[in-house]
Amino acid sequence: MKTRNRLALASFTATTAVVVAFIVPTTPAIAHGTMSDPASRVYTCKNEGPETPKSDACKAAVAAGGTQAYYDWNEVSLLEAGGRHRQLIPDGKLCSAGRDKYRGLDLQRADWPAKRVSAGPLTVTYHASAPHSNSNFEFYITRDGWNPTQPLRWSDLVHLQTFNNQNPGTFTNWTLNLPQRSGRHVLYSIWQRVVGSNEAFYTCSDVDYGGGGTPPPSTTTTTPPPSTTTTTTPPPAGGTWAAGTTYSVGNRVTYGGVNYECQLAHTALAGWEPPNTPALWRRL
Amino acid sequence: MRLLLLALAFAVSGCATTQPDAVLRGDPLDVMFLQMMLPHHQQGVEMVALARDRARNEELRMLAAAIEKTQATEADTMRNWLTSWGEPLTAPPDSHAGHGGMRQSDPQEVARLSALRGAEFDERLLNVMIAHQDDAVQMARWEVGSGANQEVKDLADRIEKSRTAQIGLMKKFLGTT
Repeated sequence: MKTRNRLALASFTATTAVVVAFIVPTTPAIAHGTMSDPASRVYTCKNEGPETPKSDACKAAVAAGGTQAYYDWNEVSLLEAGGRHRQLIPDGKLCSAGRDKYRGLDLQRADWPAKRVSAGPLTVTYHASAPHSNSNFEFYITRDGWNPTQPLRWSDLVHLQTFNNQNPGTFTNWTLNLPQRSGRHVLYSIWQRVVGSNEAFYTCSDVDYGGGGTPPPSTTTTTPPPSTTTTTTPPPAGGTWAAGTTYSVGNRVTYGGVNYECQLAHTALAGWEPPNTPALWRRL
Repeated sequence: MRLLLLALAFAVSGCATTQPDAVLRGDPLDVMFLQMMLPHHQQGVEMVALARDRARNEELRMLAAAIEKTQATEADTMRNWLTSWGEPLTAPPDSHAGHGGMRQSDPQEVARLSALRGAEFDERLLNVMIAHQDDAVQMARWEVGSGANQEVKDLADRIEKSRTAQIGLMKKFLGTT
């Protein structure tokens, strides 16, 4: 379901609803926040310092995806989520919200710094640096028997509780009732804004019930991706423009029946079609 | 009627208002998208420009130059729209959009990148630009999904596609630098 607040609200006939529809675009586009207790992975690594991570897990996360994610710790979000979390975020990428920027958070490790917990009530705290009214907060925990060295999938999550129509402040507390578990688990949260934005935030907080045996030694070596030597195939003279082809200055292509000449060496990409990129292509 | 509603909307939302007569010409969401995208583009251009003298990977240098030029052209288009609608190019600093596109860490990141050379520079630029363009994809999807003006939405669609493709290329480069 694709929620478009503007359209949905505009279809209401009540004058108040129409007013709300016009408010929509003027409300803040980017809210900010994450779980501070139990600390989410992004909050942990941000607190360790993006340039000087201390734990092996944060070191590996920074090595895998760079430091920027931890400066922007409060934006593990999808601006146009609109409740479609399971459609938009693939299994194995739940902690990054499927975003390349935050890919370090998806590392499958048994040594992410974790808060010691036990079954029963647990007060959790959400740190919202830009609070926004009227939001729903959903909380989940991984199923019994979940393995932290395996990809985190949607089907691994067991729903704990949802708090609707919340008006979070800078620090907001809720009390969850944790089920019985042993060993390491992930407490997952979704903050879905309701009015004025489709934006949703996602958090992975590692918790440890103990009794899970000694965690296996961290064998997660950051395997560098295979070194692919990109062979730049010279384009056929006068061929049709094609994404993935590397063009040099002076190369000629046709696109949509029109001829173009390359102005700047580049590898062609979807979205960089000649009619839209006068910096790269001159129409002949 | 619409003017009244808009005036009311601004009053209720507490947002900093632009000139009331100008609001009617640019859709508020399109305007906000453009005002956020412009400084974001500027930061991106500043970072990729550093590759010219610092990058080791020839392919990265080529991509960086193409990003620099294409984003400069896109920025011209975006500025022209805002100007033609009588809107300021940047959101007032106290408005919500004012703290959207530009992050405090960005100028520091330019400084950190400037200090590096060769393989170290390549790796850091790639990771930073993957993050930067991932943010652009988010903003573009927002405009495509909720924006009003078709031309602006078309630009956002091309931004989403090209940045996604750039991220794919850059992730590949990370293996070779």
